[in-house]
Amino acid sequence: MFLHNLKYELLCNLRAPALIAWLMIFPIFLGIVFRIGFGSIYENNDLFGAIPTAVVETEKDEIFGRVIDSVSGEGSPLLIVTYADNDKALDMLKNGEVKGIIYSGGKVTLTVAGKGIQETMLKAFVEQYGVYETIIRDALEHDPAKAPKVIEALSSDIKACTEIPMTQGNPDPYAQYFYNLIAMVAIFGSVTGLHITENNQANMSPLGAKKNCSPTPKSISLIASLTGSFIAQAVCMLICVTFIVFVLKVDFGGRLPLVYAAAVTGGIMGVTMGFFIGSIGRLSNEFKNGIAMTVSMVGCFLSGLMVGSMKAVIAEKLPWFNNVNPVAIISDCFYCLNLYSDYDRFNFKMISMLVYIVVFTALGIILSRRKKYASI
Amino acid sequence: MQVFNAFFKVLRSKLGIVLIYMIVFVALVVVMTFTDTASGMFEQERLSICVFDEDCTPESAALREFIGKRNDLRELENDNDTIIDALYYGRVDYVLTIGKGYSAKLAAGDTDGLFESKRMHDSYSTVYMGQTLNEYASTVSAYIAAGNDISAAVSKAGDAMLKDAEVTTISFDNSSGGALSLRSSFFFRFLVYVLISLTMSTLCPVLLAMNRKDVRYRTDCSGIRPNSYTLQLFAGSIIYIFLTWIVLMAVGVFMNGGMFEGMQLIAVLNSFIFMVFSALLTILLSSFSPSINVINIITQVISIGMCFTCGVFVEQSFLGESVLAAARFMPAYWYMRVNRMLDGSETYDGSLITQALLIETAFVIAVGAVTILIRRIKLSDTSALIAGRVRA
Repeated sequence: MFLHNLKYELLCNLRAPALIAWLMIFPIFLGIVFRIGFGSIYENNDLFGAIPTAVVETEKDEIFGRVIDSVSGEGSPLLIVTYADNDKALDMLKNGEVKGIIYSGGKVTLTVAGKGIQETMLKAFVEQYGVYETIIRDALEHDPAKAPKVIEALSSDIKACTEIPMTQGNPDPYAQYFYNLIAMVAIFGSVTGLHITENNQANMSPLGAKKNCSPTPKSISLIASLTGSFIAQAVCMLICVTFIVFVLKVDFGGRLPLVYAAAVTGGIMGVTMGFFIGSIGRLSNEFKNGIAMTVSMVGCFLSGLMVGSMKAVIAEKLPWFNNVNPVAIISDCFYCLNLYSDYDRFNFKMISMLVYIVVFTALGIILSRRKKYASI
Repeated sequence: MQVFNAFFKVLRSKLGIVLIYMIVFVALVVVMTFTDTASGMFEQERLSICVFDEDCTPESAALREFIGKRNDLRELENDNDTIIDALYYGRVDYVLTIGKGYSAKLAAGDTDGLFESKRMHDSYSTVYMGQTLNEYASTVSAYIAAGNDISAAVSKAGDAMLKDAEVTTISFDNSSGGALSLRSSFFFRFLVYVLISLTMSTLCPVLLAMNRKDVRYRTDCSGIRPNSYTLQLFAGSIIYIFLTWIVLMAVGVFMNGGMFEGMQLIAVLNSFIFMVFSALLTILLSSFSPSINVINIITQVISIGMCFTCGVFVEQSFLGESVLAAARFMPAYWYMRVNRMLDGSETYDGSLITQALLIETAFVIAVGAVTILIRRIKLSDTSALIAGRVRA
């Protein structure tokens, strides 16, 4: 009986595929939008690249010229230098071809057109040149015998800071939009879940009325519907992750099977959430749909789908909330798999999802059981 | 006016869900505005830096103080997960550990490996702070080489490195600041998302009820002409959306701290045109009579997709040329151009603002015309079907 019901549940999804099709199309469409939109932001704005700078020599300054050569030469240069006259340099600054103009000869000064980290780095470079110049001049004036040691200290190549990379995963902060997109598809499984109660309650749909007249026990019919929806949603999640990982080439780190597992579990949680909402009271389908959409949308917003910094703000102001927001839990799974080397937090998030699945299913069953309909 | 009256009768029956959406979206626009206003006030050249001092000497304290003068010092738990979260989400730009024995090594002239920095990738802040720390260490060494003791060298190095260079900032922008305050600017920016989502989520259930087959067949049997039916539906929808827009503008006035005036009224007009566009787009989509679930998903695709490509959720200046070229075919792009000129992000250009508003209006006319055409085809199809059935 269970298999018979399951078969027809799956056939229903296949024969009225509008919802399932849209659940598959929308992450593909939004994924493409995200990929095109964020494709180059990380490389262009976040990763360090040598700063394009114009140098205007009002007088010939050999020492400064050598310093400029040392920071713009081979290897990992700090600056990409273009020597120009004042008018050309100003034109370049206006057109955004350079971030600043360094005037050498006499006192070294800087002209910029904006305020950002690249301009700050240029300012620091000019200031440091001034500091070194002052220290050497002071040494020569006060104690010329020590001047060679001072110059040696200033010119020696030092590496005061040892850098420790915190992750082997993908550090692109824009990847979080893809995590949230998958989480959104998963939580939209609630729409599929709503159908379960709609199709099993006699007062909600003709199919529900027909099912209630049939001799099939309600529990079997419900479990078959739930299983069918789980399967349909799992397929949506598998397609969504596959498209994002293999077509859009978003790097989720090296633990792809667990990414699939988290996505499918998230999708099942979404379905059970819909099942629970659908079982509440005698509200109309439209109203329940509105509640499911509102909960999903607010969850997505608070997880950072629309404003990327939102999850960090929540983590700072209401740290517990990211552990109860279903969307944040799903997206955190991908985040943990990508960035953390251990599984502690990932396991916690997976367990949270499983707890939600059990609680939503149990509440859904409790709320929808023993509903009898009078003969009219 | 029967269709018009029926529209509001159906709307009244769905008031509960309309109110839920209204409250949620008003709350969303307020939270979005406040969240992004807070991040907009961040001074770019001041980095957020977390310093763990394992040396705990006067010299390490002096370095911490030196860093804090030009940056914002943030406290974090010294735990890898917390540090990864903070770096990934940009709560801190740099995490520095002053190693044990820092002071002794520096006094001995050993400048290598004094610090550890934890990083996610080679960012500008990592390179900038790395340079600054190298320069600090070599400046202190130079002062020691010049005959100063460690505490004097540290003090002199800090003073010398905090002297500002002569920096001239020139502006190529002819605008004299924005007409919109920072908060109003963010409000009008996120209004795009709210207008589309709210309109589609609340208007669609009403229109779908009006478009239900049995209701439509019954209407087709009546003496109302298809064009009159569509125009009454347009009028009802636009009046309803106008009322929700008034509510949103009231929230905007609250955000602005007073009534909109002068150039700010252009932003109000801009949002009005976009509101009409959203209403017509909703009527167009509901003409195809999809299920409410499908409408909900289409709403997300259109609203989120348009907002990401047109520079609502991510600044237009960050988006690539190809993305912006494609976005020109969407009204939200022109809406954002007007908004950016009004808040001072772009040079103010009166003719460009007029052009953008006209393009938005052209989108409204185009969507309106397509909607009328599709509804005529659909209504004439059903009329033909009914006529065929009657003849049979």
